Amino acid sequence: MKQLLYGGFLAALVCAGATEAQEPLRIVATTADLKSLAEAVGGRRVAVASIVPPNVDAHEYQPKPQDLNRIRDATLLLRVGVDYDLWLDKLAARAKRPELRRGGAGYVDCSFAIALLDVRGSRVGPAGGHVHGSGNPHYWLDPSNAEIITGVILEALARNDPANAKYYEGERLRFLERLSAKMRGWEQKLVPAQGKPMIAYHNNWAYYARRFRLNFAGYIEPRPGIPPSPSHLAGLLKLMESQQVKVIVRQPHEPAKIAEFLAGKTGAKAALLAASVGAVPQAKDYLSLFDYNAEALANAMK
Amino acid sequence: MTEALNLLWLPFLAALVLTGIHAYLGLQVLARNIIFVDLALAQIAALGATVAFMLGHPVSSAGSYAYSLIFTLAAAMLLAATRTWSGRIPQEALIGVLYVVAAAGAFLLVEKAPQGSEHIKQVLTGNILTTGAEDLAAVIPLYIVIGLALWAARARLADPGGGWRGWAWDFFFYACFGVVVTSSVALAGVLLVFSFLIIPAAVGVLYAKGVGRQLAIGWAVGAAASLAGLVLSYAWDFPSGSTMVCVFGATLALAGLAWPIVRGGRRKFDRAARAVRAGAAALLVLSGTWLMIAPRADQPLLDSVEYAVPGLGVSYMNESEIEVYRDADHYAKRYQREAERLNEKEVRSRWQGEALDDQQVRRISSFLQSYNEMRKGEEFVKREVRARARARIRWLAGPVLILVGLLLLPWRRR
Repeated sequence: MKQLLYGGFLAALVCAGATEAQEPLRIVATTADLKSLAEAVGGRRVAVASIVPPNVDAHEYQPKPQDLNRIRDATLLLRVGVDYDLWLDKLAARAKRPELRRGGAGYVDCSFAIALLDVRGSRVGPAGGHVHGSGNPHYWLDPSNAEIITGVILEALARNDPANAKYYEGERLRFLERLSAKMRGWEQKLVPAQGKPMIAYHNNWAYYARRFRLNFAGYIEPRPGIPPSPSHLAGLLKLMESQQVKVIVRQPHEPAKIAEFLAGKTGAKAALLAASVGAVPQAKDYLSLFDYNAEALANAMK
Repeated sequence: MTEALNLLWLPFLAALVLTGIHAYLGLQVLARNIIFVDLALAQIAALGATVAFMLGHPVSSAGSYAYSLIFTLAAAMLLAATRTWSGRIPQEALIGVLYVVAAAGAFLLVEKAPQGSEHIKQVLTGNILTTGAEDLAAVIPLYIVIGLALWAARARLADPGGGWRGWAWDFFFYACFGVVVTSSVALAGVLLVFSFLIIPAAVGVLYAKGVGRQLAIGWAVGAAASLAGLVLSYAWDFPSGSTMVCVFGATLALAGLAWPIVRGGRRKFDRAARAVRAGAAALLVLSGTWLMIAPRADQPLLDSVEYAVPGLGVSYMNESEIEVYRDADHYAKRYQREAERLNEKEVRSRWQGEALDDQQVRRISSFLQSYNEMRKGEEFVKREVRARARARIRWLAGPVLILVGLLLLPWRRR
């Protein structure tokens, strides 16, 4: 009896300790999309920061001295992987926190368990972990993948903060419920766009296309950073004419000039879509990102 | 053909317009020895546009243009004032400093407004391919007015004198220059505008003395190089701006090589011919030696000759080597085709027919990867066979190359 009482007292103490210690768990994510998903799972028990500012291509991002400080006191480090944020390896190595490096307890590669698209070559990143050959890194643009990503985040949170595992699990389920309710709306909204040929500035939309049955028939800039050749543009113009392409998809930070040029020649409309949270002011978090895109694309199709 | 014409005639017209004004400005720039001034002024204009953007003026609005202009004029004042400031530092050094500080300053500003980076790019990386008729309609009158003004003031500009008057003439030149460069860089990008500025003028100066003749030569060279660059970029599927810059560079090299033939007279021509022969001889001797030392390493001369003459690569292999090589080549191409077919299937399934589930997508990915690895394996076999064949023939081919090189050497007859 005495032992039981003592045990109960201890348990109460631990619980109190867990709830009392309101110091939130610090998470650093490379992109705003992962930040939003981490907040969805972590709720009020986590404080999440992201490294790459909105409308900056994570491929081209150059870490700043402040980023080192951000990482230094983080418990979890979330990355997109698939060679999208390669600079993170060097940054994590300089932070002198072995648990945040590849294979460490606080290191989370969110591309883990994603069915990657556009897999061609082998990855350029350091070997180790799962070698899956680099694919298209924009996998968060398939809302169904959010289930996998949040699963990976939940697992990492539960591992590093077991006392709150139940809470995180509940938060994630609540988020997934909201997501699936929203999903039906997005799908309905995009029915008119299904299969209609579109041109995009760059191949960011593979996962989005797969989920919502969209047809990206060509890209203005097939190799990132290299302006299109005149023969490529001539081919695009031909394709736009023969397939009756009505919409050119572009992100806010991608150059407008060539899209406008093609639109002027063919009468197609330009649709400004956000591939990342924060790319447009309306895309405040993961769910509103898809709200905005569905709305913008549906409007362009009208 | 009509597609190419349809797409390229406006860019070509733009190139003619740009050559027209820049060849003339280029002559002035060469005379004043301020080669990189256009880069500095373009970067300053971009900085001005960035500041305008930070203050809330939308991209390519009147406000944005006004800020660019004010920044450019301020830089023009500075450049005019520093020409004879101390007499100890060449002005090119100050121009360089202006360029890096403007570039770095713009980056610092953009740190605080990420959308601005697109803005800077827009100011600095025009794409001549997308030039519209309305763009040309805007710049042609401007260039004509500035060109005429500079022509009218040419005597003054050549010898501005000292004091306030000298400063004012210098300022006039830099201001005109800045306004032109800011508009042309937005049309064609920094690299191409630099080529328009320096290369036709340089060829003109190389071959003629009077300004009129220099200009005529510069214009002809600029027009020909622009046309060649645009056509090549279409035929070879390359970005137009970079192709044109390279063609301009090649034009200057050709003009330089042709100079001793056209202008130099017998003795200079002989000297140039000897230099070319000595260069070729050195290349052959070095290649022959390198082949004997390291037959399995990259052999730049052999590699490029074999690339240019397709049959040559297999000519020194024995029968079994040829068989292995052809086999590997066949399979490498086949794996490539298979991978493309599979990829095509997956892309199509995103919107057409039955959607693939994650499991199927993963299977396709792993197939793609295997094909890729297998293709790499075959490529490795091809390289290995070639390396072995080269190692086998090196004691014959190496000395032959060296011998040919030595024969080519321009020995002096005593």
